[in-house]
Amino acid sequence: MLLAALLCYVGFTALCLSMSRHYADLLGGSLSTGRSRGLKAIGWGALLLSLWVAMASLSIGQALVQWFAALMSSAVLLVFVMPYWPRLALSLAGIGALLVPVAACLQLLA
Amino acid sequence: MEAASVSHPASEKRPKPGKRGAAVSPRWRLAVASRVAAAVIGGYLLASLSSICLAQFLPLPRAEAVVLSMTLSFLVYLPAVLWCFACRTAWRAWWGLLLPSAVLGAVYATARWLL
Amino acid sequence: MAWLHTWAGLVFGWLLFAIFLTGTLSYFKNEISQWTQPEIVPHKVTAADSVNRAQHWLQDNAGDAKRWFIILPDERSPQLGVSWIPAKGRFQDKTLDSLTGAPVQARESMGGEFFYRFHFQLQMPYPWGRWLASIAAMVMFVALISGIITHKKIFKEFFTFRPRKGQRTWLDGHNAVAVLVLPFHLMITYSSLVIFMTMTMVMPVSILTTYGTQTQAFFDDLFPAFKTTVPAAERMPLAAIAPMLDIAADKWPGSRIGLITVNNPGSANASVTLARHGADQIPHEPGTALMFDGVTGALKEQSTMNAASLLLAGGIYGLHMGHFAGPLLRWLYFLAGIGGTAMIATGLVIWLGKRKLKHARAGVLPFELRLVEMLNVASMSGLMLAVVSFFWANRLLPVSLAGRSDWEVKVFFYVWGAALLHAFVRVFFRDGRSAWREQLCLAAFLYCTLPVLDMATAGSYLWASLKQGYMTLAALDLTALATGIFLAWGAMRFRGEKNVVIASTSSALPEAR
Repeated sequence: MLLAALLCYVGFTALCLSMSRHYADLLGGSLSTGRSRGLKAIGWGALLLSLWVAMASLSIGQALVQWFAALMSSAVLLVFVMPYWPRLALSLAGIGALLVPVAACLQLLA
Repeated sequence: MEAASVSHPASEKRPKPGKRGAAVSPRWRLAVASRVAAAVIGGYLLASLSSICLAQFLPLPRAEAVVLSMTLSFLVYLPAVLWCFACRTAWRAWWGLLLPSAVLGAVYATARWLL
Repeated sequence: MAWLHTWAGLVFGWLLFAIFLTGTLSYFKNEISQWTQPEIVPHKVTAADSVNRAQHWLQDNAGDAKRWFIILPDERSPQLGVSWIPAKGRFQDKTLDSLTGAPVQARESMGGEFFYRFHFQLQMPYPWGRWLASIAAMVMFVALISGIITHKKIFKEFFTFRPRKGQRTWLDGHNAVAVLVLPFHLMITYSSLVIFMTMTMVMPVSILTTYGTQTQAFFDDLFPAFKTTVPAAERMPLAAIAPMLDIAADKWPGSRIGLITVNNPGSANASVTLARHGADQIPHEPGTALMFDGVTGALKEQSTMNAASLLLAGGIYGLHMGHFAGPLLRWLYFLAGIGGTAMIATGLVIWLGKRKLKHARAGVLPFELRLVEMLNVASMSGLMLAVVSFFWANRLLPVSLAGRSDWEVKVFFYVWGAALLHAFVRVFFRDGRSAWREQLCLAAFLYCTLPVLDMATAGSYLWASLKQGYMTLAALDLTALATGIFLAWGAMRFRGEKNVVIASTSSALPEAR
């Protein structure tokens, strides 16, 4: 579930960045349409991937419960960290993205 | 955030709040009370009849049909309540619930009489 | 639709806050019970030994009962619970020590069960409390959906939270805890309706039209293994229950046993029904059970609840209860519940705040708004005070006091009542800020010093538990401390007098700092 949770956070951050208001707050500068679309694709892709990953390792009932828990937790974390520590919010996404392959290996080996 | 005045059940105009001394009219109050009553009583009636019909017609063993019908009944109650506050008049609130209830009741009664 | 959301939210908000807060606490009801009865210490005992001790005790003390119930200890509940329906008289229960098999010597307390029962019965006589709670559940459902419909910018403002902007922040906060945790809120609300339905309360008509007057047939269809039978005249000794657990382990690999029911113990037609432990699967499956012959100990019947509609209802039920949740998930349930409580709290504050702004120019608020303010204070900070008072009472009331557990409950309600009175006096004779400030300060103090109280009055149990590696007592103390810090931060925001700017050009008030 660690992998799924990381993907949820990364996905939500990408979706957040795909909105021009938040992009401006977090990264500065204006957001081009192409970049926005790209970020939306990454965001949704990561969320869907996290669901697939969750279902791969647990029974469907447990998988859905834990996935929703990861989804809600990562959204809350992002939304409440962002206005106070925007760089931290972004760094967490960056670190999360880096840890994805590590978590994937852990899940495959378990 | 929307402006200070709260939106109202459609079509029964509430005097804009903040107007000094302008009380809410009794007619408005009655309409709202009527909608609430429709939601509570009519909604429950419609949900109950839906539950009864589901329990009768679902192709499942008795106990399972009953349990499923009860589980789903709240999905009927909710739109019924929302309807009461979204429709144009308080009368429509009542008709919108009583009519389908009557239909469901008739369907059930016919089924019981025939089977 | 916004009108519906606003008014349904206000009228039922105070009650729903209490339901959500006590419900959230209930996710840790076993842990709260461990704290309120620290004398009951976990032991490492096998299920077989526990059940043997329970059986011996019941044989000696309730040998002529109609039914026995045994609940084995687990990682969240260290006690061995036995209860029975005597030949004559009402249901009785006893808590046994799992190591000695003798009744525990612990202070009498309802523990976490108090919050759990309050949460769906509201301390009102049966069945009125349940009815009110079920009505509140339906209103919650309506308020949730109408809120979603009204929130037109739900996607645009999904990630929006703007602190330090007064009323705007409160609304952002309300939207954030509502939308980001929406799957939980929808699940909790709908499942509460399903639970009330399984208590055959809210939607019984289809039972009546399908089964007519033979409603018992409905229950027998659902739970074939729990049918009650008339005891046979002939008496025969009851077989040992422990070996039945081994058969169950074989039939249900990976599952522990939860409830053990013995029907007509000591009779020739005695039977023993085993049900799985609630934490081992998500759905609530009362229909899945093993029935054994009480005299020979042989397995007679295995029923498995596998009908889709029953698993649907049972699954919804199980999601609400969260029995299946391990420690991490249980904390997440708790936090989600706090989110729901905060959603209601912010809603109540916003309702009043918006209308207060309109009356900024007049010095005094109209009666209705002051009434709302009083109820806001009493139902929120007042309830927080009542909750912590329950724990204080648990540590301070003498252990040998008669009716001790009733007294803990009385303290809870007396404090809540006092908070209402205080709120009335402050809101109507001074201002709402002082009401909030004073109650939050007192609550912060009581929560922050709860760990100190625990160490002073029950420190030996605390140190003993930590030495054994059990973190529960300490965890509750630390959670209380964290809550106290949060309440202190809240109290700080009400310090100083309100800056009332009455000038012809300004229309908005600076918010509480």
